[in-house]
Amino acid sequence: MSTLSKKYSFHEVFDSQKLFRLILEAMSNPTRTVDIREYADKMFGDEPALLAVAMTLLDNEIHFNTCENAALADEITSLTLAKGSEPEDADFIFVCKPDQLQNVMECAKCGTLSDPHKSATVVIRDDSSASGNLTLYGPGIDGECQFPASDLVQRALQLRDAQYYEYPQGIDFIFIAGSGELFAIPRLVRWEVR
Amino acid sequence: MNKNYNFAFLDEGSKREIRRATLKAVAIPGYQVPFGSRELPIGRGWGTGGIQLTLSLIGPEDVLKVIDQGSDESVNAVNIKKFVGLCTDVKTTTDTREATLIQTRHRIPEIPLNNDQILILQVPIPEPLRIVEAREEVTKKMHAEKDYAPIWLELYESLIKYKKVTLSSEYPCMVEGRYVMNPSPIPKFDNPKLHKAQGLYLFGAGREKKIYAIPPHTEVVSLAFDDVPFEKENFAGKKCRLCGSEHTYLDEMFDSQTGEKVYQCSDTSYCQEVRSHASK
Repeated sequence: MSTLSKKYSFHEVFDSQKLFRLILEAMSNPTRTVDIREYADKMFGDEPALLAVAMTLLDNEIHFNTCENAALADEITSLTLAKGSEPEDADFIFVCKPDQLQNVMECAKCGTLSDPHKSATVVIRDDSSASGNLTLYGPGIDGECQFPASDLVQRALQLRDAQYYEYPQGIDFIFIAGSGELFAIPRLVRWEVR
Repeated sequence: MNKNYNFAFLDEGSKREIRRATLKAVAIPGYQVPFGSRELPIGRGWGTGGIQLTLSLIGPEDVLKVIDQGSDESVNAVNIKKFVGLCTDVKTTTDTREATLIQTRHRIPEIPLNNDQILILQVPIPEPLRIVEAREEVTKKMHAEKDYAPIWLELYESLIKYKKVTLSSEYPCMVEGRYVMNPSPIPKFDNPKLHKAQGLYLFGAGREKKIYAIPPHTEVVSLAFDDVPFEKENFAGKKCRLCGSEHTYLDEMFDSQTGEKVYQCSDTSYCQEVRSHASK
């Protein structure tokens, strides 16, 4: 007799809580990198870290987009019941390939002056290594911080700035490396190259 | 732990919604993010916003401290601790340094927060513009347009009438130069503790269904005029009758028999800590 087993061991109550606290720590302290490998290892598929984040934050009230990554979209829908949508309607956009970033940034929703929270969080898979230091400053950063960033991070920030969002409108970034390192850059963090 | 309920009482869908609102609140400091405030076995107005935040954050490894008006032993604080304990089994403490989560009503502890601590404030009226405008749709538009002239006028009128700003608590402050925010009914004494702090401050208003936040190292400036600077309560010449502290927020107590006024630290655990160090 065959037995049924779950494809993942991620605990929806306790692992979600721990992963949320790590994401909150990263969002509150931009440039701080947190390690989510323990939770990614409990998921499955090609993007276990993105799936773990989706399990933690998404549900049937949320629209998401995976930039035509059908396998990831199917997995997120089956796990969370969140609804796939066009990038301009998505609350969460998962970007797995760097060349998709420009299109995402041009159409991601940035909220309104009245409702800035109705904006997208862009979750980017970034496996490239740091290529230079960025100077970051803003809420969550003590003074300013030299942050070793990859070309993709710098590109994402350039594309964000090219949209000339009027604060409080904007989008928030979460970057995740395949090795499970996660950091966040919320909309109010400014940057420069020195 | 009561096994009839989910861990931390709320269902996972509710926690997820509160968590998403919390992340947006952190990303937009001072902005009030609406959320679907849940029913709890506690009446609205007894800290349900703070409790929902605490329940969405808390895990088995957390250490929880709850204070009410600075006291660990008041009815509100004790019952919230019991409730959270019943549905999580987490360790509770009165030691500010030991706590990972601190839920509070009306005070910020005297001991500064560390970066790994989260302070959760219970908020009755999150809208700082409510004293000048009753309609929510109008205050929302005022925030969108950064139209804060009426609140400045309110402060100015207070100066003209009474020669000083008479707001003793809920003193409005400007967050990152963009949002005027109600720091909840903390005394003015505590406002400066919000500025460029080490820890994360989360504010939950259950009845008004709003969550807002101040991340670490965020600029929080109490509203004041160039020629009339912000002033917090002044306890010069007074000290705590128990521990002798002169730099803390003091409660005034009056003995109706003798007519004598005495002062005592509002933060009871801090007061106790000072006394226990003194006795060693």
